[in-house]
Amino acid sequence: MSPDIFSNMGNTIFSIVMVLAQIFLIILFAPLLSGISKKTKAFFQLRKGPGIFQTYYDLAKLFRKESVVSHNASWIFYATPIVSFVAILTAGLLIPTYTTHLPLGFAGDIIAVMYLFAVARFFVVLVGLDTGSAFGGMGSSREMFVAALVEPAMMLSIFAVAVSAGSTNLGHIAQTVSVSGLGAISPAYLFAVVAFFIIIIAETGRIPVDNPATHLELTMIHEAMLLEYSGKQLAIIELATMMKQLLIFSLFANIFFPWGIWSGTGFGGSMITVSAIAISITIYLAKIAIIAVCVAISETSTAKWRMFRLTDLLSISLILSFLSIVSFIIARGV
Amino acid sequence: MSEIDFGSGLMPALIALILVSTFMLLGSKRLYTCVRAFGFQSFLLAVVAAVVAYSTGRSEIYVVSFLTLIIKAAIIPYVFIKISRDIGVKREIELYVNISPSLLIGGLLVVISYYLAQAININTQLSNYALSVSMSLLFIGLFIMISRKKAMTQMLGILIMENGIFLGAISLTYGMPLIVELGIFFDALVAVLIMGIMVFRINKTFETVDTDVLHTLIG
Repeated sequence: MSPDIFSNMGNTIFSIVMVLAQIFLIILFAPLLSGISKKTKAFFQLRKGPGIFQTYYDLAKLFRKESVVSHNASWIFYATPIVSFVAILTAGLLIPTYTTHLPLGFAGDIIAVMYLFAVARFFVVLVGLDTGSAFGGMGSSREMFVAALVEPAMMLSIFAVAVSAGSTNLGHIAQTVSVSGLGAISPAYLFAVVAFFIIIIAETGRIPVDNPATHLELTMIHEAMLLEYSGKQLAIIELATMMKQLLIFSLFANIFFPWGIWSGTGFGGSMITVSAIAISITIYLAKIAIIAVCVAISETSTAKWRMFRLTDLLSISLILSFLSIVSFIIARGV
Repeated sequence: MSEIDFGSGLMPALIALILVSTFMLLGSKRLYTCVRAFGFQSFLLAVVAAVVAYSTGRSEIYVVSFLTLIIKAAIIPYVFIKISRDIGVKREIELYVNISPSLLIGGLLVVISYYLAQAININTQLSNYALSVSMSLLFIGLFIMISRKKAMTQMLGILIMENGIFLGAISLTYGMPLIVELGIFFDALVAVLIMGIMVFRINKTFETVDTDVLHTLIG
């Protein structure tokens, strides 16, 4: 065997390790992120609050419990937790976390990510309608109302960065932005950052849009659809929601602030690679934690909005992402 | 010319933030948030003036920047909030055109002014964005004056237009002569005070600051 094959073998194994690492990273740190944002909120509300590992205990407890399923539930009710979990995890393999070398980068780009999120959302919305409770249907209709405004804004704001990077592959975008340094901060970039921050709040169900901590019927969106779930199924779907939050934060961190991301493509076979990966994972976790704290601060400083005022907030986001693309085109001089 | 490089690196970002603050104002239904957004916009304008002063090396623009900071970012918002507290204006503003459509119209106005600025085709060393954004502020200010019902927000509209003209002047021509700038500042300040007194009078006579009511005669 030539050494070439050896290095190919090494790279294949390395790629598999990378996939597993990314999956573990996402599943492992998603509950921690929820814990951090809950703790931050508690701090600003002068409460002690649960510890940052409480979400792990909750999930562990739910996994040990039995699931109670309504007689009226169809197969959708059983399929949804798994479909949404898998869809979001697959999207996670297309989103850069600590490295720009994406495990599934050859298979899809930002459009695939959007559709995977949409599949997860579609099934959760169906479940809201499935059991026939009035509550769930209300949650579903609200979820679609918000989604219809958020999705185009999210697409446009990422596209604004994508056109300047010249690719819709998220790893490539992160790479391009991180290499261009401070030159990346153009008007198009700033508009997109502001637009995306509003999208984070809407997409992760934070306070002006949805309140994750309440079961009050007038305010809730996401919880209303999941009311019928219990036990293991609830645990899986909660974990999927937390993962989605982590991934949305990762998108924000690595599209707009990708500095410090590891951009190596293969295994060099030295300690340098390992330590570089360790450093970039640390930087990544720090970025995500900072975003979680920022979102929690903005959440504590605002009040829950009336449902029909959300269009105002979300259309700011939509308009800013539109302006972002316009200002890119103007700057290029077409 | 590293100073010019520094300025041209920083200016597009600042000018984009000015546009963002305009949209915050356009997208808000609360009077105080609007006033705060205006104050933030004026603060950014002062920073723009300071950057222009630094990169062109003209020290008199520092004075302009300082005056912008004092008058537009501090005194005028203060006067606004004081007037609205004194006459007890409703905190929620009323509009002819709702928030979402007015944001859309705002976006459209920005596109139009980009297009117009392209047609004029002025390139300065500092920023190509300045002219188009200054025109957008002009249009959006005018739109705010048309689409808001209350005298207070109409005042904000004219101040945004004024900010737009200031932005254009400072970044395209590196500032008018200091005496002209001083005149404009004085003008804006006096305008706000006079409009404040007018609002008081309107409120006293009609018991509202809704300018719709001014169409009807009072005998």
